[in-house]
Amino acid sequence: MKSGPIGIASVALFTLVLASSIASAQAPQKAPAVVNPPPTAQDWADIAKLPDWSGVWNPKISDQDAQVKTNPPPWNEAAAKKIAKMFAEEKAGRPFLVFSNCLPEALPSWMLVTHNAMEILFTPGRVTMLGESDGNRIRRIYTDGRDHPETSDPTFHGHSIGHWEGDTLVIDTTDIVPEAPLAVSEAAGLPNNGDMHVIERIHLADKDILHDDLEIIAPNILTKPWKTTRIFFRQRARKFDIVEGVCATGDLVERVNADGDHVFVPVQKSEWGHTTAVPAK
Amino acid sequence: MRYVLKSIGAFAVLAMMAGGISQVAAHHSASMFDFTKSQTLKGKVVEMRWVNPHVTITITGTTNPDEAPGDWLIETTSPGNLVRAGGWRRDALKPGDEVEVTFHPEREAGKKSGLLQEVKQVSTGEVFTANIRDQEKPGLE
Repeated sequence: MKSGPIGIASVALFTLVLASSIASAQAPQKAPAVVNPPPTAQDWADIAKLPDWSGVWNPKISDQDAQVKTNPPPWNEAAAKKIAKMFAEEKAGRPFLVFSNCLPEALPSWMLVTHNAMEILFTPGRVTMLGESDGNRIRRIYTDGRDHPETSDPTFHGHSIGHWEGDTLVIDTTDIVPEAPLAVSEAAGLPNNGDMHVIERIHLADKDILHDDLEIIAPNILTKPWKTTRIFFRQRARKFDIVEGVCATGDLVERVNADGDHVFVPVQKSEWGHTTAVPAK
Repeated sequence: MRYVLKSIGAFAVLAMMAGGISQVAAHHSASMFDFTKSQTLKGKVVEMRWVNPHVTITITGTTNPDEAPGDWLIETTSPGNLVRAGGWRRDALKPGDEVEVTFHPEREAGKKSGLLQEVKQVSTGEVFTANIRDQEKPGLE
């Protein structure tokens, strides 16, 4: 059987349509990429209108201590039992290591129980908090109007979006890893076990005093949201500038090996976390 | 030098066998120390580890003049806190410096370690403290 011109044209047209449909199935329409636009001169000028949070901020540890008794979290029954046991163990000289393995103190515990300083940087569309002591203490707070991501990608410090209400920075944080502790001290704290939500209002309470008013919603360990304020003092002396601090070096000591290379070798630690012996040089 | 590395390796293995490496560095509570007791150690600095989160100082000395000197391990807070709260510098204590340390001993008797309260450089009389709550005001100088 011979194919006439119409038959050949029909086959060609069918092939074209088929190829076209396969191609469209293989390459779905892409949503346009969301880009972070370069800051404008006006964006930088707007930064200058924000309150001055420069300098180094160190925490009021005595108030952290006091709130352990005066403003405890509303632990649920199971959590309260575990926390009571931790306090008993600490009192007996066997403190639980809430922050083991040099993992970040994470949110909100960094703000709640830190003994170390932090600094806060403003750039267009973002506030960045950098912590002393751990190289991995960093919070990125997006102030560019974005929302939380549709697909959760949990991290130690969560996903933070912020906006200014006058001179107060309001921060909403979700997507925190369930393992991140809600801690009231270095020896008492529990994994949040998921679905934690933290709302903060950070503002100057005085010329050199910063308050972080926190509301912590942790439905798997608390019976209701917990509100607390944490206090930080400003230092401007240059000798107090934050320097690099790497938590893992606490497990190590500098030595020179047989090849003449400078290396780190382990020190001996107790199960409570303190150093018990350092290898001789 | 080979001996040094061998010793370090053996030490590391021993430390791991002792279970000291599985739970590693952390910002930890100091409740293993007895805050109701205070002792004085006189001796010479062997080494100061200026590290986060806790600085440690190895000192060869004794708390009792009738006893032979031994190596003591004194722990304290982080470098940043020592600078702000106690006026420390990285070179505040150097190997060979003669010092007097006041410290809280470990609760467990017989351990040659403790939590530093203050250390005095004998040659200069300079004193360095370590109370992290002493930095609770703005504008420190």
